Amino acid sequence: MTAFLAVTLLFVMQGTLETRSQVASTFEQLSQVQQAQLDLEELLRLQIDEENSLRGYSLTRDPFYVAQYRQAMSGYDDKEAAIAAILQGQHLAGPAEMLGTYERIQAAWRNQVAAPWLARPGELLALDKANKLFSDYETRTGFAMRQALAGTDAALVRSTQTQIDNASYARAFWVLAFGFLAILLNIYRSRLNRQLEQERTITDILQQAFRSESIPLPHCEVGSAYLSATTHLAVGGDIFDVYRLSDTRALVLIADISGKGVDAAVLTAFIRFMIRAIAVRHSEPAAILAEFNVAFSKAVGNPYLFVSMFVGVLDTVTRRLEYSSAGHDCAYLRRRDGVHQLSVTGPVLGVMEEPYYSKMVQLDPGDTLVLTTDGLTEVRNRAGKPLLGRGAIELIARAGPHAQQLVDELVAKVRARGGKRIRDDLAILAIRVLDGESRG
Amino acid sequence: MVRIAAALLVLWSLPAGALADCKVHHGDHVVLYSTTDDPSVLLWDSRARLREYYGASFDEAHAMLPHAILVAPGTHATVTSCTPNYVDSPILEHPADALGVVITSGSNRGLMRWVLGSDVRREPRQ
Repeated sequence: MTAFLAVTLLFVMQGTLETRSQVASTFEQLSQVQQAQLDLEELLRLQIDEENSLRGYSLTRDPFYVAQYRQAMSGYDDKEAAIAAILQGQHLAGPAEMLGTYERIQAAWRNQVAAPWLARPGELLALDKANKLFSDYETRTGFAMRQALAGTDAALVRSTQTQIDNASYARAFWVLAFGFLAILLNIYRSRLNRQLEQERTITDILQQAFRSESIPLPHCEVGSAYLSATTHLAVGGDIFDVYRLSDTRALVLIADISGKGVDAAVLTAFIRFMIRAIAVRHSEPAAILAEFNVAFSKAVGNPYLFVSMFVGVLDTVTRRLEYSSAGHDCAYLRRRDGVHQLSVTGPVLGVMEEPYYSKMVQLDPGDTLVLTTDGLTEVRNRAGKPLLGRGAIELIARAGPHAQQLVDELVAKVRARGGKRIRDDLAILAIRVLDGESRG
Repeated sequence: MVRIAAALLVLWSLPAGALADCKVHHGDHVVLYSTTDDPSVLLWDSRARLREYYGASFDEAHAMLPHAILVAPGTHATVTSCTPNYVDSPILEHPADALGVVITSGSNRGLMRWVLGSDVRREPRQ
């Protein structure tokens, strides 16, 4: 539709320019013909001047009239040449032929009447029949030329009017067609906009439902971030969750679902709420994963879909963390002596039914649990080299002390390393255990 | 009754053009003056030649000149007959009358000739 409108516009523009060119050309012709008409009047006047000068000489014998005669004759010849050039230039064969006739009559008059009269001025020209004949025929030819040029002039004016009329009708038609199409396009675009607006509203609602979130925990700092590889959506296939199971215990979750985009995001909601539901009944992370593994395989029924997941239960008073990792190797613990990678305790979920094991870690004040998805370790630099686990450990080690500060710095590093485009979703959850003074 | 029939016969026998109105009529006194650039007037020895002159080429017209006399503008004449719209030519804006005149002044006084209707002016009545 847009291309058609563009072509229509170009067509209208081209037509307008062409009409302008045609009208300009016709006006130029008109101008030339009108100049020829003016020159013709001057030519006829000069012819009369020639004859009157001879009459004056015949009556007075004053050489002044001879000079006048020669001056008129010279002017006549110049004017005749100018008219001939215009008529030839405008291809006006009829008037050109008449001008030729007029020129021959005038030349004959000069030879047969004017020359003898100059030689014998005493013989009055006034009653010379030949002179009368020349005069009559010059009058007739002049009249015919006037008529022919006036006809050409009128034809050109009509032609110009026709061109302008045709251009006006054509332009009106195209403006109408263009306007009609523009209205149709606008209606079509309005419908599209309404549909897009509805889709956007639905997407906003979905994002509200699917977005990973962290809640504050007592005696802890919590920081989090989410970067989606899908540029127009703030959801993806990664998920993190902090959910308080009791006043002192909290469920800590991070998972990476194979796939990305809206489909994976829908699955994250399912996973999050299912894990929460299971965690209410089972406090041991390995049991949570085992039960989820069975339920996930049955519910999804897609052998190619799997999930890596880290589930921890943190006691914020005793600072004990019990966790189980289903193939999720992006879990780190930053302590005073360095950054440690928390080991995987079982295979990824959704592949097979395997037993999962839990591990226990005693956290000290100042320790920070850093859970990420592979969007951190897989981020590649311009040379295509991934950061890997070792690179992630170095970044975490150098990052600032506070949880959100650490998360923000990691995000900044990922953006700097990966450039403008994020190839994989990235979720980061950091929980820093506060020391005694901070805990108040 | 016989008179009425005779009058109708005369009317019927007239050329159709004669019924149209002439600008001057038999007995009118006129002054000759041409409307062309040269005001002197050509008078012809026949009405047909007068008409031919306005349809002829230059060479044909030149050959016809011995049948014409040229009189100075201001020459007086008396109309003897008129054929309305007799001379028609592309160079004339309207068909012109053919007038038979008797010259009443100048060296050609007494001659009867034919002249174009647009080359005469009616003399003011005394």
